[in-house]
Amino acid sequence: MVSLISFLVRRILQGALIILLVSFGIFAVLRLVPGDPARLVLGPMASDQVVEVAAREMGLRDPIPVQYVHWLGAALHGDMGQSYIRAINGSQVTGSHDEFAQAGKAHVLDLIGGALPYTLQLAALALLFAAIIAIPLGIAGGMRSGQWPDKLVLYLGSAFVSIPNFWLSVVLALVVTAQFHLIPSIGYQGFSYTILPAFVIAIEMSPIFMRSLSSSVSGARQRSFVSLAEIRGLSRWRIFFGHILRNAAVPVLNLFGVQIGALLGGILIVEFIFNYPGLGLLTVQAVLQRDFPVIQGVAVLSAVLFVVINILVDLVSTWIDPRLDF
Amino acid sequence: MLIDTITVAAAVPADKTAAVSPGRRIWRAAYAEPQFRVGLVLILILIITALIYPYLTPLSATKIAVLERFKPPFFLSGGTWLHPLGTDQLGRDLFLRSLIGLQNALLISMSAVIIMFVFGAAIGLFSGYYGGWIDTVLMRITDAQLAVPVIILAITILTVRRPTVETVTLVLALSGWPAYARVTRSVTLSERQREYVRGAKILGASDLRIIFQLIAPNVLPPIAFVAVLDIARMMIFEAILGFIGIGVQPPTPTFGNIIADGQKYLINAWWVATMPGAFLFAALLGINLIGTSVEQARNKVLGGTI
Repeated sequence: MVSLISFLVRRILQGALIILLVSFGIFAVLRLVPGDPARLVLGPMASDQVVEVAAREMGLRDPIPVQYVHWLGAALHGDMGQSYIRAINGSQVTGSHDEFAQAGKAHVLDLIGGALPYTLQLAALALLFAAIIAIPLGIAGGMRSGQWPDKLVLYLGSAFVSIPNFWLSVVLALVVTAQFHLIPSIGYQGFSYTILPAFVIAIEMSPIFMRSLSSSVSGARQRSFVSLAEIRGLSRWRIFFGHILRNAAVPVLNLFGVQIGALLGGILIVEFIFNYPGLGLLTVQAVLQRDFPVIQGVAVLSAVLFVVINILVDLVSTWIDPRLDF
Repeated sequence: MLIDTITVAAAVPADKTAAVSPGRRIWRAAYAEPQFRVGLVLILILIITALIYPYLTPLSATKIAVLERFKPPFFLSGGTWLHPLGTDQLGRDLFLRSLIGLQNALLISMSAVIIMFVFGAAIGLFSGYYGGWIDTVLMRITDAQLAVPVIILAITILTVRRPTVETVTLVLALSGWPAYARVTRSVTLSERQREYVRGAKILGASDLRIIFQLIAPNVLPPIAFVAVLDIARMMIFEAILGFIGIGVQPPTPTFGNIIADGQKYLINAWWVATMPGAFLFAALLGINLIGTSVEQARNKVLGGTI
């Protein structure tokens, strides 16, 4: 129990450090790129003087560390700032002369909160698809290493990682949606719009898990406790679930923790192509429009997700395999 | 976990293989796998064609030929062998453009992999060798880089800096270095306990000398074998950037900008977007087949995985 608490404290402190580093890094990069946010907020018609005044009011002329401390202070109170571009009602306002234009802009947290459920739904379905593809194949490959299921895993895995996700998205949207009207996609009008994007992400993710599962299952089979279990006369199912799968699960889980950033990256691209209204679309549009507070918010969110999921992965790993120490 | 060369050599039957370096043995073990040869043949055919075909054909990859626009690929009616994959909206030959795209993709992704390997390995060597606060700081920076989807950083940088071959290469390198830093660090951690490192320290060798002349040649080659797979990963990433419009800019053909162009004509001329994508798939499949068999061979020869 004591070791669990000290583990959690240590990991949460490390995680906080990572999140701080990410937020400062992104903050610095965004302030260093050319393009004046005050100009963006006020639009091209505003005079230089007005822009200058607004920029001072927004604190954009302070040194970057000072700006960062201000941002961090607000963020710790749950205020991630407001979008430069998007209005509360969802439309995009630019070039408003109103000095208080910022008053009508959407809060970053609201934007993220609005998009997050869509992304979570997509991610969950994608993981489900990936599991349906990877778990049976990976286990079959591992249980029959050197035979045809193993080869199948190898070739199928190589084929899947070789399919560019954006190209598959375009082809599927063309064939499945436009040509044969089987599954709708492009935009979002209901759950069925999640299927094709989730499938593309699943194809991209499944080879990694398939291979890792296959090699850890075949590794676990060669361990002495498995052959001993056979001698002890345990049933095949008990050996499979209790000994082989349990030992094979830990490396796969760890891999999931490492891959979480890549998963998010894949979701960003696929959402953008399918015009799916999640975090990815929000982010890509924010970047293309230089909507700094939104980019900042999404980067911090993804760092938080990364940290939390990795802590959870370690907790679950030790629960599955108590030999692992914190 | 790397077993040291001596134990590995002892574990191998005492025939001629014992005298061969681990690197050689990894290549031999990989070559014994059929999928390695399939991949090698595939990628060599594509690369050799990409190097020779542009000089043999009278066509140009960038010149506009309006009369030739939207010619279908050879297997459809109206297609000719002059344009095996068809032509695009400006009458340019898609096969030739894909070949030039392959040249660019290989150039960019291989340079990116070399840069990320060198940078990541250096970080990992320092981190693992010195330990302590240097290790903590470097590894937290590495984690921070892993925690943000690189695509956000990439789009931010490339919408501001003009995307050229150099900037795209650097952005790609940014995406991959943390993996190399982590692996190199974990191997260096155990390597610095070995006798030859302690011996060198007692003899008064400087830290930099120990790191780069003694540890690096021992720990880096096995890690370098994994880099083959990263070439394919970087080629996809480069194509994604091109597809969003922030890769190397037209008229230079890249897979990304060819497919992005073709996407506008999907309904009437589906091949403009799909054929170059299929070509890219073939090239990636070749590299990935080589990469996985090399990785498996490495694990077999050196024992365990990193």
